[in-house]
Amino acid sequence: MIEIKNLSAEIDGKEILKGLDLSIGEGEVHAIMGPNGAGKSTLSYALSGRDGYEVTGGNASLDGENILELEPDERAAAGVFLAFQYPVEIPGVQMTTFLKTAVNSVRKARGEDELDALGFLKLMKSTCKKLNISEEMMKRAVNVGFSGGEKKRNEVLQMAMLEPKFAVLDETDSGLDIDALKIVADGVNALRAQNRSFLVITHYQRLLDYIKPDHVHVLADGKIVKSGGPELALELEEKGYAEFSKEEAA
Amino acid sequence: MSAVIKLSNRYKAETSELVLSGWDAYVAETTAPDWVQALRKRGAEKVRMMGLPTPKLERFKYFNVPAYLKKNALEFGAVNIELSGNTEYVSELGASYAHAFVQNMLEATPAGEEKYGDTMLWDLANSVVANGHVIDIPERSKNEKPLKIKIKGEAGKAFSTRQIIRLGDNAEFSVIESHTGEGAYWNNAVTQIKIGKGARLRHYRLQENSDESLYTQNMHIQIEEGGSYEAFTLANGAKSSRNQVHVELLGENAEVFINGINLLDGKQVGDATITVEHKAPNCLSKQNYRSVIADQAVGVFQGKAHVHQIAQKTDGYQFAKALLLSPQATMNTKPELEIYADDVKCSHGATTGQLDDEAMFYMRSRGIPEKKAKALLIEAFIGELFEEITCETMREEVSKRVSEWLENHE
Ligand SMILES: Nc1ncnc2c1ncn2[C@@H]1O[C@H](COP(=O)(O)OP(=O)(O)OP(=O)(O)O)[C@@H](O)[C@H]1O
Ligand SMILES: [Mg+2]
Repeated sequence: MIEIKNLSAEIDGKEILKGLDLSIGEGEVHAIMGPNGAGKSTLSYALSGRDGYEVTGGNASLDGENILELEPDERAAAGVFLAFQYPVEIPGVQMTTFLKTAVNSVRKARGEDELDALGFLKLMKSTCKKLNISEEMMKRAVNVGFSGGEKKRNEVLQMAMLEPKFAVLDETDSGLDIDALKIVADGVNALRAQNRSFLVITHYQRLLDYIKPDHVHVLADGKIVKSGGPELALELEEKGYAEFSKEEAA
Repeated sequence: MSAVIKLSNRYKAETSELVLSGWDAYVAETTAPDWVQALRKRGAEKVRMMGLPTPKLERFKYFNVPAYLKKNALEFGAVNIELSGNTEYVSELGASYAHAFVQNMLEATPAGEEKYGDTMLWDLANSVVANGHVIDIPERSKNEKPLKIKIKGEAGKAFSTRQIIRLGDNAEFSVIESHTGEGAYWNNAVTQIKIGKGARLRHYRLQENSDESLYTQNMHIQIEEGGSYEAFTLANGAKSSRNQVHVELLGENAEVFINGINLLDGKQVGDATITVEHKAPNCLSKQNYRSVIADQAVGVFQGKAHVHQIAQKTDGYQFAKALLLSPQATMNTKPELEIYADDVKCSHGATTGQLDDEAMFYMRSRGIPEKKAKALLIEAFIGELFEEITCETMREEVSKRVSEWLENHE
């Protein structure tokens, strides 16, 4: 399980996360909603170890291991995965090479056997099929020339292949058409498992119709300001975040 | 015996004297064939008059030969050159100095002598001429596999290897040179190439000289109508290396490709200084370089396309990209165009950048360790140039060496 306690983080000396608490049990799916600029992506970057997102207080552990002290690749090996809000294009690096390197790096770090060329191709092909991604895309450079929706599906593909224990999906639903949303949600649901937890960041209740969360949280101004069941998402859809910004003003 | 070279001209080095031991023994030798003696004398006179290039000379701004010679005491001598692969059409220039070589050297004016004023190293090479080959490929002949030329530098020596490659009309030939060695030495090499009508030469170089060596390559290439020259140099050796190339496109529809990858680290200096002269219409020239520079290393690209008035419909392209892996790494780029014809298509560009942080983080967040992530980005950076190598063997050799280099770098 993932446990985040009193987490503070700053960017360029500006405090963005201001003592955030969150704990996600094994196999659970939690959703985070919240206004633009509240710090949702900052949370996802702080958890995955991006340079420039400096943790100034608190801690975060995955199955008892403090992940904040690990390098980004060590966190991935430990089981942290981030589906980026804005997936990065890497010209000149082929998807297949990228995926194979990632999968085998993680397997090696986890003490598992690396996949040979054939084993890897089989895994890649079957995962592509599940997510309705054409294999031809795997011959192209990472995210280069991918449409917005293709990029998001590609994030889920990577998640499926890396088998994380804890996955953060940062607005993976935005930019997806209705069919793609369903495919992505099916992909995520297929990965739901006893030993895997999810943190789903979204602005739209619709995603949560497909990926049913156990808990919903509101993140505003760097803190979790409200938590509840799936009904909270519906409530937010109706009322917006006015309540929370009022709190801030008071 | 040793000579003191006075650098008494306008390019004078800070310290006015350089000791080049064994130099005037060459110049004074009386047993060599007459033409050799004559060539040496002529070269020596020029050297005495002009001295050696210092960074005060524009084209040597980033390359300091005298500084190297002041630090390393070298003795002039010759080294062994090994030829292997398809040598059928190769006449070796041994101690007897092949006749073809005589003819050629005496009739040819060193490349760009008047025009570019930076042939001092060529003159120095003439003054000690001893070591080399003439490779004469008859009309319509070709070699199936590349000829391999291996040159190995020996510690303490200053030497000058020389290659003359001449392709008859419609001949096809390929060469892979490999340069290695041990300790401090200086190879001031000269390569002279003539490509006949419709002939095609592919000329590759793996420059892996020792980390302490100085390597200056002086090249002059002349291409006749419809001829084609493709050069690719992988340079990851030498303390300081300079690939100085002067191409003359002499007949219509001739084409030239001068490409290379520099992988530099420590305090290495890697200099590519290229001049392509378009002297006929409808010719194509492409210069394309990638430099990966680590530590305090320095990369230099000075590319120039000179389009003469007659050279209408010229297609000229030059591009140099550098990737700096450390804050102390430097790239000096100077692309130049000098155009006197009005109907031409010329472009040039240069970029210098660092590894993309976002891409690095993206890869690492997928579990790819830092070193491996860097290697993938660097490979992607130089990968575009791989496709320019049309010879399978060379592509493999380059790719192998790039991987090895990446293995050894953070
Ligand atoms: N490099 C940066 N320098 C300064 N401020 C930054 C930087 N990156 C982000 N911020 C600020 O941090 C705050 C939180 O940004 P974050 O991206 O975490 O918001 P978010 O909740 O994900 O918003 P959205 O819903 O729009 O994705 C914002 O005010 C943003 O402007
Ligand atoms: Mg965000």
